[in-house]
Amino acid sequence: MPTKLQLHLAKIFLKIFLRDRQSIFFSLFFPIIFMTVFAFANNGEVDPIKLGIVNNSSSEVASDFSQMLNDNPLFNVTGGEESNLRTELVDGDQTMVLILPENFDAQSDGAELQLLVDAAQVQQLGLIMPLLEQTLISIEREFRNIEPMFTLTIEDVKARSQRYLDFLLPGLMAFTLMQLSIAGSGFNIVEFRRKGILKRLFVTPIKPRDFITAIVLARMAIILIQLTVLIVFAVTILDVRIVGNFASFYLMIVLGTFIFLCLGFCLGSIAKTQQAVMAVGNIVIFPQIFLSGVFYPIESMPELVQPIANLLPLSFVSTAMREIANNGASLLEITPTLIGIAAWFVIAFMLATRLFVWKEVAN
Amino acid sequence: MPIIEVKDLAKKYLLPGKKSEFFYAVDGISLRIEVGEIFGILGPNGAGKTTTLEMLEGLTDIDGGSATIDGIDVASQPYKVKEIIGVQLQANEYFDNVTLNELLTLFAALYNREVDTSELLGKVNLLDKAQAKPGNLSGGQQQRFSIACALVNSPKVLFLDEPTTGLDPQAKHNLWDLVRELNDAGMTIVLTTHNMEEAESLCERIAIMDHGKLVAEDTPQNLILKHAPEPPQAPMHGNIEDVFLALTGHGLRD
Repeated sequence: MPTKLQLHLAKIFLKIFLRDRQSIFFSLFFPIIFMTVFAFANNGEVDPIKLGIVNNSSSEVASDFSQMLNDNPLFNVTGGEESNLRTELVDGDQTMVLILPENFDAQSDGAELQLLVDAAQVQQLGLIMPLLEQTLISIEREFRNIEPMFTLTIEDVKARSQRYLDFLLPGLMAFTLMQLSIAGSGFNIVEFRRKGILKRLFVTPIKPRDFITAIVLARMAIILIQLTVLIVFAVTILDVRIVGNFASFYLMIVLGTFIFLCLGFCLGSIAKTQQAVMAVGNIVIFPQIFLSGVFYPIESMPELVQPIANLLPLSFVSTAMREIANNGASLLEITPTLIGIAAWFVIAFMLATRLFVWKEVAN
Repeated sequence: MPIIEVKDLAKKYLLPGKKSEFFYAVDGISLRIEVGEIFGILGPNGAGKTTTLEMLEGLTDIDGGSATIDGIDVASQPYKVKEIIGVQLQANEYFDNVTLNELLTLFAALYNREVDTSELLGKVNLLDKAQAKPGNLSGGQQQRFSIACALVNSPKVLFLDEPTTGLDPQAKHNLWDLVRELNDAGMTIVLTTHNMEEAESLCERIAIMDHGKLVAEDTPQNLILKHAPEPPQAPMHGNIEDVFLALTGHGLRD
């Protein structure tokens, strides 16, 4: 538990940090833009299938049939010559091309329709075939005046499936807290050193442990405010859903922030200039962006990389946050991940207090 | 009674570009500074003044010899020493966007104390600047403020590293008055300076350093008697600084 001295110091540092409203505000810019772009680009609707129709028949049935497909919101229909549409299919401008034969009329028996597909889009075939058949059957019924025995009415109850944005939010929060934390402590330390502030602090009897704890607490308060703004924005404006317990979710944020603030302290202690801390910071930040399951699940990565990826601090934090937010996991259910977080918690704090030696850091 | 005792103090640094050759920035200095003294350390740039001070303040490791302040060994108990000393460094930038009041509260917190910031600011004549930021202060005000920061723990010894460098004469005299006031209240003060007038008029004893060694140590009067060349038959009266002050007045400029 922080001591009275640490809390008092933290309060003063918090007041100091809060003055820097501009950077507090602007650091929220990227995640907000990012989330918004994803919310609109990936709003859960399936794009209509681009379907080219070559109508070789002049019958009414053929034009009715084309019309019905055209009215179906699942298709985006283009009419045209077979050769043109074939080229468009190869170029990827059409997903499929349907050819209606000459004998496609009410009189014929067994007119054969031809469907040309792009091999890359074959998985959509399963979706389209029943639809085409369905449309054909209803036309056939209409012409033969058969009343259907059954009718199926589909009602949209707006049940929400999980969107990518729901998946993204916990990862993005974990990533944002890492960035804010490493910048918050690491870059601050280097700036304090440049100004000679560390040296001035060093001639007072403050112990590194008290100084680090105070800075970490003050920074953490600010990062919690920033993340809360982002989460409120995501939940209220972008309608992102957090299934699990909010308190557990925040506990993970607090632990993660602590870990990365301490690691930031390590960077600030090792790197002596602003350029160096940026470079070293990127070495820490970049691999974790790709390897820690922030934007896509770790399981989708090459098997060789997975064991390493799973041990990164951001992996533990983002996994825990995602399990809670997406799957409503309880803390008990994610015990292995929590052990990983606890291990990094201890490692990060020990490293920070070890590496932050006044004599080395201040001069 | 000495409050600071320094014996054969030494600091060595690697020669730039050489792997195993050292040079001594401070080379075996011994000093005794009495309680209630204003003690000046003089010397050209690179003589080792600041390094000596930094070793006493615990900022730099001591490579040889020993130093005690108020009976406490600097090398083995640096945190205890820091409790009883006040330090003003050459560079004194502070956090951005923080008022003098808040900075003093912060410094007091670093000593785990509470202070009456108004009283401290009053002492250094900055009471009207309590809500100002350090960046908006003049040079003299900044120096006075860093002395205020050094006073938050009511130190027994105050270290000042070139406190008047870069100040205009008004601010300089004002700072000397402040140093004398603190000294009258019983504080021991150790300062480094390039300013001969400062050494002569402010310090009770001075030590002159060069190339890391102590060249001379005595009261200013005795040093002049011992080392100054024969005075000219008709000495000039005063110097150009007196003329400047007579013409521009003693009032403080902001």
